[in-house]
Amino acid sequence: MAKHFRTLRHDVWLPYRIAVGPTFNRFYEGLKVEKIWGNKCPQCGKVLVPARTFCPGCFVDMGDWIEVSQEGEVVTWTLANDRFYGMPVDPPFIGALIRLDGTDCDFLHLVGGFDLTHVDSVRSKITKGTRVKAVWSDQKKGHLMDIKYFQPV
Amino acid sequence: MAGRVGIVEVAQLPGVESGDYFLDQVYLVCKEIFDKTGVSREEVGTVVSASSDVFHSGMSCANAYYWDSGAALLKNGSRQDAESLLAFFYGVMRILSGNYETALVLAVCKGSENPETDMITHFFTDPFYQRQIGLNETFAAALQMRAYMDQYHVTEEQCAKVVVKNRKNGLKNPYAHLRRKVELEDVMSSRTIMDPLRELECAPKSDGIIAMLLASEKKAKKLTKKPVWVRGFSSSMDTFNLGDRNLLNGQLKTAAKKAYAMAGITDPRKEIDVAEVTEPYAFQELLWYEGLGFCGPGEGGKLIDSGATEIDGEIPVNPSGGVLSMNPYVSRGLYRLAEVVLQIKGQAGERQLQRRVKTGLAHGTHGFAGQFHAVAVVGR
Amino acid sequence: MGRAVAVIGTGQTKHGSRFDVTYPDLVREAVMACFKDAGITPDDVDGVVSGTMPSMMEGVALTHFYFADAMRSVGKPIMKTETCGSTGVSLALTGYYWVASGLADIVLIVGSEKMHEGDSQATMTTVLEPFYQRHFLSGAPGVFSMQSQMWTARYGIPEDKVRDAAAKVSVDHHRDALDNPYAHIKVALSMDDVKNAKVITYPCRLYDICPNSDGACAVLFASEEKAKKICPNPAWIKGVGYRGDEYWFGDSDKVVWQCAIQAAKEAYKTAGIKNPRKELDVAEVYNPFTFQELLYYECFGFCDFGEACDYTLKGTFAKGGELPCDPSGGVLCTNPIGATGLIRVAEASMQVTGKAGDRQIGGAKLAFAHAMGGVDQFNGVMIIGSER
Repeated sequence: MAKHFRTLRHDVWLPYRIAVGPTFNRFYEGLKVEKIWGNKCPQCGKVLVPARTFCPGCFVDMGDWIEVSQEGEVVTWTLANDRFYGMPVDPPFIGALIRLDGTDCDFLHLVGGFDLTHVDSVRSKITKGTRVKAVWSDQKKGHLMDIKYFQPV
Repeated sequence: MAGRVGIVEVAQLPGVESGDYFLDQVYLVCKEIFDKTGVSREEVGTVVSASSDVFHSGMSCANAYYWDSGAALLKNGSRQDAESLLAFFYGVMRILSGNYETALVLAVCKGSENPETDMITHFFTDPFYQRQIGLNETFAAALQMRAYMDQYHVTEEQCAKVVVKNRKNGLKNPYAHLRRKVELEDVMSSRTIMDPLRELECAPKSDGIIAMLLASEKKAKKLTKKPVWVRGFSSSMDTFNLGDRNLLNGQLKTAAKKAYAMAGITDPRKEIDVAEVTEPYAFQELLWYEGLGFCGPGEGGKLIDSGATEIDGEIPVNPSGGVLSMNPYVSRGLYRLAEVVLQIKGQAGERQLQRRVKTGLAHGTHGFAGQFHAVAVVGR
Repeated sequence: MGRAVAVIGTGQTKHGSRFDVTYPDLVREAVMACFKDAGITPDDVDGVVSGTMPSMMEGVALTHFYFADAMRSVGKPIMKTETCGSTGVSLALTGYYWVASGLADIVLIVGSEKMHEGDSQATMTTVLEPFYQRHFLSGAPGVFSMQSQMWTARYGIPEDKVRDAAAKVSVDHHRDALDNPYAHIKVALSMDDVKNAKVITYPCRLYDICPNSDGACAVLFASEEKAKKICPNPAWIKGVGYRGDEYWFGDSDKVVWQCAIQAAKEAYKTAGIKNPRKELDVAEVYNPFTFQELLYYECFGFCDFGEACDYTLKGTFAKGGELPCDPSGGVLCTNPIGATGLIRVAEASMQVTGKAGDRQIGGAKLAFAHAMGGVDQFNGVMIIGSER
């Protein structure tokens, strides 16, 4: 087969309108007033955040809604330096899994509020176990980024 | 397992970007199978393919495009989404159901026609939460790598060694996409993508079109002197929310356990002669050693240090160069299996292992931090 | 043919416009209904099969991850089967081969779609490659209208006769849907309503065409041994068939449509069916378009080529006729595409086990389920019966 070829540039763009449902509706409303809602499984007792419709382990409807603590511990983290499609904010930023106090799962969000320019200094400041606390944006949209980031305390 | 299924023949295309038209390439690999085995397109019982709409050059209903180019015209066939080892499993099931003597398994992914992999993997997220944080497979892998290093004191050098090993192996593989030697210093000084992940530790985006012919025991023995028998396989899925998962101890153990049980394997490190694992991020190969039972939890770094997984080691892993050398996302699982089959048949060319190769393992994974794993054990 | 495979439970959501729930919660609704119907727990399941229309439809890719918890597939092997519109029957075929092969005893099968969240016609347009066909074929109705025109021209069927037959199909199915608690569109129509509705792509008018629906369906298959232990009233898979045409729309004759004819024949052969109209008690035909449904009656051997209109106008294929087709209201009234083919399998199973409520065809013992996919490219058939 010949080596020479043409390529056809072809972009596909599609619009979506996605049903939020009652669970995330309530969770998003909570973000607007600086609350982080989780809920508790009536069967296994686990507290999950963000709040869920059902417990993945037990497959039953979740029970009581709980305003979870806005403080917790870093479980794992990564410093992003490159731009990529769908990134939450311009780099550099730290993505992390955070175990908020009193919950039974990790919360995916960002860690920030300090100089992120040099990875070595970041690595000395953030480790597994570092305690962090939510810092809120001034503008609220009912979106995960209403929380600006979690800042080391 | 009642009755056996044999893998008769393999036909694959290289991973470098090709200017050939997608459908022509599909036709070529199928034709190669028919020419090599003497089985005609009419004679093939069923065709099961693997492809994925989002890895398919902007076309949806992926199977539609290559159905007839893929030898399935007016046949009872089907398609598995995203994981080509599932197409292989489905081909085996169709033969074992007694309805078919032969099954053509096809996997297609023309990476050069697709956007960047992470632009696509970003869409595995739910729109409400994880997508808003920008999660993609690299982001998830970086979180997993940090957790792995923190928990077990695996070093960055140990992770980087996977790249050196696999890229060196890939030099001898004419189908590999990346065929340039990489030293430890190159990896350690390569650009950080998402700390601690470095650029050379992340797989490329490759083309990959591959076909495999399976046959019932009786038919396989007629078609080839060296059928490679399917001994065991399974897969396992993990929970969806990344924060709900144990990133260091996922579902690979479960999938491997079931595959080993079916294959009658009790000591994988001793009984497996060659393993091809899917390692889109270098450190994951170490983690997969543990899930596959080649070493204990946290000992992946020590295993690679020992040299046991080198091409001349006790349990060679990725003699093909692995996914770090060639990554056609959807078809990479079947490429792993193809390498194992060729090694067992003694047809692996320059990279043929200098040891008796009787039993091999092929592994596939996809999803955030390995949410899903598939394992197959095959042998003589 | 391998081990015998039974249907031991089915579940569906209330299909329609489901902005009240997120997509995974919709899937869970069907899954829970299915486990309730079967009376077993997720722990008993050996594997899960799922599939939907392409990711472009809802904007989430590789949904087997997203639904892992809703389908209770954590810790289990899965299969992810997708073949465009024929997905629902391909899902059932996957479950069937999995159990028949002896590699699983109980398999959960789930199909779903949430079409209101995306642009279904734009999604379907991307089936076509950008080099050639995409410029000419846009969305679904155009294709099936062209097929109907070819058919009526071939057999010299007068325009008003086919219009009346198609209108009767629409009127009958919309009335049938009123008896189906899960159906989406519930509206009583007259012949004039259908014949005077807005033209979409000639000859298809508004009520000749399926809706966009949100919905999910889940079905449990089991081996004979397991079914006999746990299910007092299973349905049995008697035959399966599937075929695919060329990708290029113009390459095959879509009137004497070998893809549909052979798919049905493959299923009839194993099921031992020689005279479908006589031997089948009910048929759930994949019928998003009334005109195409008429052609399907001919391709599936329910009558000879060119005769579907005559039989339809006589009432042969309506409730009360010799072979009632789509007493559920069919795809014409409910079309969550990834689930639709599986709903046909579920409805067929319910019919032969006496569980079809107000839409029950009395004494039904042998049923036909079918799905079509692509640009008139795929057809899958499953025959389900009450006898082992």
